[in-house]
Amino acid sequence: MNRIPAFLLSLLAVASIAAPASSAAQGFPPTPPPPGPIQPAKFPPYQEATLPNGMRLVLVASHEHPVVSVSLSLPAGSKYEPAGKEGLATMTAALLTKGAGNRSAEDFARTIEGVGGQINAAAGSDFITVFADVLAPDAPLAFDMLADAVVRPTFPDKEVELQRTQQLSALQLQLSQPAALASRFFEQGLYGTGAYGRFSTPASVRSITRQDLVAFQKARFRPGGALLVIAGDITMDRARSLATKSFAGWSGARPAAQTFPAPPARNHTEILLVHRPGSVQSNIVAGNTTFLPTDPRWYPAVVANQVLGGGADARLFLILREQKSWTYGAYSDLDRPQGIGYFQASTEVRTPVTDSALAEMLHQLRRIRSEAVPDSELAAAKNSLVGQFPLTIETANQVAGAVSNALLLGLPRDYLTMYRTRLAGVTAQQLRNAASFVVRPDSMLIVVVGDGSKIYDGLAKIAPVRIIDVEGKPLTPDDLVAKGSTLSIDAAALTARTDSFTIMVQGQAFGYQTGVLSKTADGYQYEQHTEIGPMLQQKSTVTFTEAPALQHIAASGTLQGQQLSVDITVTGGHAKGTASVPGPQGPHSVETDTDVPPGTMNDDVLRAIIPALPWSAGAKWSFPSLDESKGTVQQLTISVDTTESVTLPDGAVNAYRASVTGGEQPITLWVSVAAPHELLKVTIAGAPITFVRAKK
Amino acid sequence: MQRLIAALTTAVCLSAAPLMAQEPGRIAVQTDTLANGLTVILAPDHSAQVVAVDVWYNVGSRNEVRGRTGFAHLFEHMMFQGSAHVKKAEHFQLVQRAGGAMNGSTTEDRTNYFEVLPSNRLNLGLWLEADRMRSLAVNDSNFHNQREAVKEERRLRVDNQPYTRVLFEDAYGIYDSTSCFPYAHSVIGSMDDLNAAETNDVKEFHDLYYAPNNATLTIVGDFDPAQAKQLVQQYFANIPRSPEPPAVQCTPRFNTGPMRRTATDAKATLPAAFHVFRVPAYESPDYPALQLLSTILGQGESSRLNVRLARDAKAAVATQVLLNPFGPRRGPGLMYVFAIANQGVPIDSVDGLLSAEIARVGSEGVTDAELTKAKNQLRASTINQRQQSLSRAEALQRANMFLGDANAVNTDLDRYMKVTTADVKRVAGMYLRPDNSLILIVTPEAKP
Repeated sequence: MNRIPAFLLSLLAVASIAAPASSAAQGFPPTPPPPGPIQPAKFPPYQEATLPNGMRLVLVASHEHPVVSVSLSLPAGSKYEPAGKEGLATMTAALLTKGAGNRSAEDFARTIEGVGGQINAAAGSDFITVFADVLAPDAPLAFDMLADAVVRPTFPDKEVELQRTQQLSALQLQLSQPAALASRFFEQGLYGTGAYGRFSTPASVRSITRQDLVAFQKARFRPGGALLVIAGDITMDRARSLATKSFAGWSGARPAAQTFPAPPARNHTEILLVHRPGSVQSNIVAGNTTFLPTDPRWYPAVVANQVLGGGADARLFLILREQKSWTYGAYSDLDRPQGIGYFQASTEVRTPVTDSALAEMLHQLRRIRSEAVPDSELAAAKNSLVGQFPLTIETANQVAGAVSNALLLGLPRDYLTMYRTRLAGVTAQQLRNAASFVVRPDSMLIVVVGDGSKIYDGLAKIAPVRIIDVEGKPLTPDDLVAKGSTLSIDAAALTARTDSFTIMVQGQAFGYQTGVLSKTADGYQYEQHTEIGPMLQQKSTVTFTEAPALQHIAASGTLQGQQLSVDITVTGGHAKGTASVPGPQGPHSVETDTDVPPGTMNDDVLRAIIPALPWSAGAKWSFPSLDESKGTVQQLTISVDTTESVTLPDGAVNAYRASVTGGEQPITLWVSVAAPHELLKVTIAGAPITFVRAKK
Repeated sequence: MQRLIAALTTAVCLSAAPLMAQEPGRIAVQTDTLANGLTVILAPDHSAQVVAVDVWYNVGSRNEVRGRTGFAHLFEHMMFQGSAHVKKAEHFQLVQRAGGAMNGSTTEDRTNYFEVLPSNRLNLGLWLEADRMRSLAVNDSNFHNQREAVKEERRLRVDNQPYTRVLFEDAYGIYDSTSCFPYAHSVIGSMDDLNAAETNDVKEFHDLYYAPNNATLTIVGDFDPAQAKQLVQQYFANIPRSPEPPAVQCTPRFNTGPMRRTATDAKATLPAAFHVFRVPAYESPDYPALQLLSTILGQGESSRLNVRLARDAKAAVATQVLLNPFGPRRGPGLMYVFAIANQGVPIDSVDGLLSAEIARVGSEGVTDAELTKAKNQLRASTINQRQQSLSRAEALQRANMFLGDANAVNTDLDRYMKVTTADVKRVAGMYLRPDNSLILIVTPEAKP
């Protein structure tokens, strides 16, 4: 405490270096000073070598900081996955550091963290890249671990299953999120069966075996096709000798080149409407394929994209958000893979303004082709892009990433050093020429994920509309009208009963749920009591008819200290009432006042009628379901996927596994094959909560 | 706190590797003082074409007076609302259009503002900082607007997160605020004090603390020192000096007796035990050993608390040790040692295990392997941070403020590397003792 003021005094005593007298006299400029001249990028020249086994090695030496970053890329991206095994590349990458050579997953983590380093792997559509960052003296360890991960992964069964569970749960969650659905359908539509139209499904992830992983790694991981990029405080001699030693014994020529179907041609704009009943927002993605990464139009295209939708200072954002208040954000983007890339503009808007927002977006896309971009706007866009670049290559691993990407895409040797100069040289005319190829509003694919019953008519005025459901099944405009239920129940199986579940959170019992079914004068009542530790206490009662159709929901309780309550009545095809829904800002009230189709149920009714459904392998039912937290009706689908054994506290039971989709969070149910069909287990995608039938 | 829990659950086991004699590269530092008192620290380094402009004002929550808590942070928000030549929201726009990044933050001891820019835009960063040092735009409308923004930030980051109120407010109860107000209250401040703040207070605050003689400007990265000095002279030299702000007086007190309190937390779902200890200032010779001790005890999956309480005894879902979570201090600091109970485990038993582990490290010390691992992690993170111009700038500012000399950036790590197992055992026994602690037992809010 006392040392500081004394020191400050001593600082004051240090003679300040006098500045030229003229400078202070120039005074403070009233406007921001102009940028100084751009120096050509001072990219450390990289050195290249090829090891005896055919592996290409690139070194970007930089001795400023004693760190070394190593990355190894292999042509093993998702585009090489065998049909039906989508997800294999991602799973392979994730498992490389979960057991390799003599190290277990735990050893791998412990060893690298013990020296304060890190090692990771990731899969893209073209490549799998494994990368490690360490302090310079630990470079031998980084090479050893990297070589183990790539050459000697062990794919332990336990880790494979753990990874599969994680992938399935991530995928299930992704399929419930409208933004992820929109990109997925957009890329599938753009590339068809080509390189970049492939996506994993629950079935493909389930079908991946350890054998598939081993075979994929063997086929795609070969020194012949591998690129090792090393950046940081290391010499070429040392890098080469470490790589030679660590990868000794690894051999194999580059895997044979594969050709992929070209993206389907488009001669008119089409809207693909992904019907998601009950959606309160629409996600729009509009775009088209572009060119190969080496195309010289890349530079003017990047500037056009920056003007149009490159950030909070670009046209789409300023107009759709700031001017019209239709959305929280609107952007555009250029994707640049190894093959043909794409341009896309995207936004997420309130349902009622979907068609207006799309029309405005298309207007802006046309403008960038038809009108010259004013000088000031062009300069602002170029300055921002040119200025950002050095900030993206500050550290050794950022440099390694940039060099590696440029080499993998086959870009010219001077690409990184000349990048800023080339962007800065783009003229308004070049921009417009490039935009007229890169942005094609009259031959685009536009994907809109939203409630088709509310947005179809408006969209149909903009372009021809093709409709699918969230699983990709074609629909007709007639299908958009909320459907009734395809469920039928066996009333004889609905006898008075009590259900009891244990609620597990990450394998630990955290709470319980009980349900009591009883007969009423004109149907049934199901009363549930749920308690999850101190977090949630809830009591709910639903009444429903034999149809089955919901009559009344009443619930009350507390979630994390916030009160929750529901009171909704359905009469004459209309649901009316209120719910108080807890949220991060405290409880908020949701009004329900909506027409409902015949046979509308809700989650609680579904629980109640499980034993009375005609369960069989492959069965599929669909029904409207009221979501009281939104005041809307969604069409849910129950599909029986398979029959499998499920382990309960009191033993294994043969069960139907069924998925419930169409809601916010997909749910998986297991129901006993033997009558009475009892609900055995429930999991919710993205939530660490499992309901398991209590021991009898 | 969310991040805290995430960090806890994703942390991985660590094991000791041999200690390698690798050190971060030296940072060549030049220090000047302008006639108006502005301290200027220059550290040119041409490894990347990036320059960081980082201004520290020697003001933080420790300068706040009773009834005006949260003011240093509220003021930080005002610094982005425009100045004589910069319109509201233009600061952000100018930096973005230059391809740069910017932000500011407030701690107990200082408030910082920075821009990271491509090197040909150094002049923009300096111009923006000089304009708001000289002439902040303060009016009722932008003041009330930012006061609401800060209140919202408080609701989101403190009131609505489990355990944060305990970490960031209740823990300050370990210091007697009547004898030492400066370090005995939270940075975010109380809602009542924020509500009571008025526009005029902002003007006075700017006049008192936002003056060249209370600021340090650091320029780090790809620039020509002569040209930078000329720009600094042109933009900053005629900003007038202010009278020296009042000195902060606060004497750390240790070992004043054990305290134990209980608190309910509506956002928490599981009970937790927090042991808060008084620790000395950053410059204290004991601080490096305390830092390494906190890593050994409670950072990562193979840390002692995690192995004993979570993995072996299954009594806790999460454990952690935090030493001054907002950064170093010139005054007394806090070390938090805590465990969140597993479902169904009585909090008294978790608290007992925690006390036992704390006592054990004091009586038995740590192993060579544990100390080596902690040093390796610290060295690697220090070196990694040196790669970015902004983190170099922050390291220089920290050395300047907390060690009294920007050049100490080149020797600070030595203090840590010299620590022995005997030092760790000594500081554990000296500071981590019941009569130097506040134990906070947090229980989820009782059922209605």
